[in-house]
Amino acid sequence: MTKALAVDSYLAGDAESVVARVRVGDPAALEILYRAYEAPVFNLARRICRTVEDAEDVLQETFFEVYRSIGQYRGDGPLWGWVRRVASSKALMRLRRNKYRDTDELFDEAHAVRREDTPLRMDLEAALERLPETSRAVVWLHDVEGYTHEEIAEMMDRTPSFSKSQLSRAHAKLRAWLGEEALT
Amino acid sequence: MMHLTMEQLLAVRHAGSEPGSAESQAHVQVCPECAAELDRLHQRVARLRALPTLRPPRDRFAAVAARVRHDRRQLYFRRTGIGALALAASLLLAVVGRDLMAPPAANASDQLTTVMAESATLEQALRQIRSSQQVTDAYTTRAAASLEDRIAELDHELESAQMQTSPATRSELLPLWRERVGLMDALVDVHLTRAHNVGL
Ligand SMILES: [Zn+2]
Repeated sequence: MTKALAVDSYLAGDAESVVARVRVGDPAALEILYRAYEAPVFNLARRICRTVEDAEDVLQETFFEVYRSIGQYRGDGPLWGWVRRVASSKALMRLRRNKYRDTDELFDEAHAVRREDTPLRMDLEAALERLPETSRAVVWLHDVEGYTHEEIAEMMDRTPSFSKSQLSRAHAKLRAWLGEEALT
Repeated sequence: MMHLTMEQLLAVRHAGSEPGSAESQAHVQVCPECAAELDRLHQRVARLRALPTLRPPRDRFAAVAARVRHDRRQLYFRRTGIGALALAASLLLAVVGRDLMAPPAANASDQLTTVMAESATLEQALRQIRSSQQVTDAYTTRAAASLEDRIAELDHELESAQMQTSPATRSELLPLWRERVGLMDALVDVHLTRAHNVGL
């Protein structure tokens, strides 16, 4: 994944010593990690969570967890992959906590009134924002972050076929909202 | 001819690993409509990946660092068996988090009582920490000494201010007490950072 490469090259060569310093509790090292990954972590959280505030909380929780669990990072994969996994779990946990908002019925009801105002063709950001939370999380984790259905299922505590059906629902909705025109 | 469902189109992307995807792939080859739909799908994904990276509106590192410090204290208190200070740990969060969270609405005299209690708890914590640390390195000694000097100065200020103030206006001392708690807090940190680094 190109994004992951870009992010890891940020810490290139230095990652090992930074991790070692975080392990012994060096706050300056934790800050280096924070600065390197705050944007991609926030972006992931913001794309998955409904509000900026939720995404900010996920950002904070992710780095606290990184500090607390850095001992579990074995160095066998890229550091960003490990941090991203922590961030994804935290974002999904946040969704579960807000679950009462996330049923299609509720969602559709809330939007039914405004449906006439919906422009014939939405832009991608708006369409993504409009997806039900679970579908949006799955489409983001699968299509952008590159997780498999098996990995998503594990993180969500669901089955891979649940993840698959959420993905196709997301795409069916995006397809309808983005319109017939060829996307440039 | 039946066109492909979204699920089947998605499966074509991972042809080989998905059951039934070979047939779908064969269909795409002969059906221009489904081929176009698959193309749209690929483009949609490409555009999702190309969305700009959203950046956090505020710097949250201070909040992360505060939580780390709080966590370290609790861990230290637990390991060294300073059980009586479980309360201190929760008070400490109030101190540490003060700048980060909106302070609870309380009248000045209540606030003064709270801050004085925090100060006393920190004092007790420091005594315990000092007595459990046999050796102190030069860095800790230096950092602690300058904080202790300032605390001594502050205590002097507090003493003379207290003599000039009537009990009714004691809440005017709140800023001084707050500063004292802040300094004590930093002092606890100096000792605990060292304790953490030597693996206590
Ligand atoms: Zn077809």
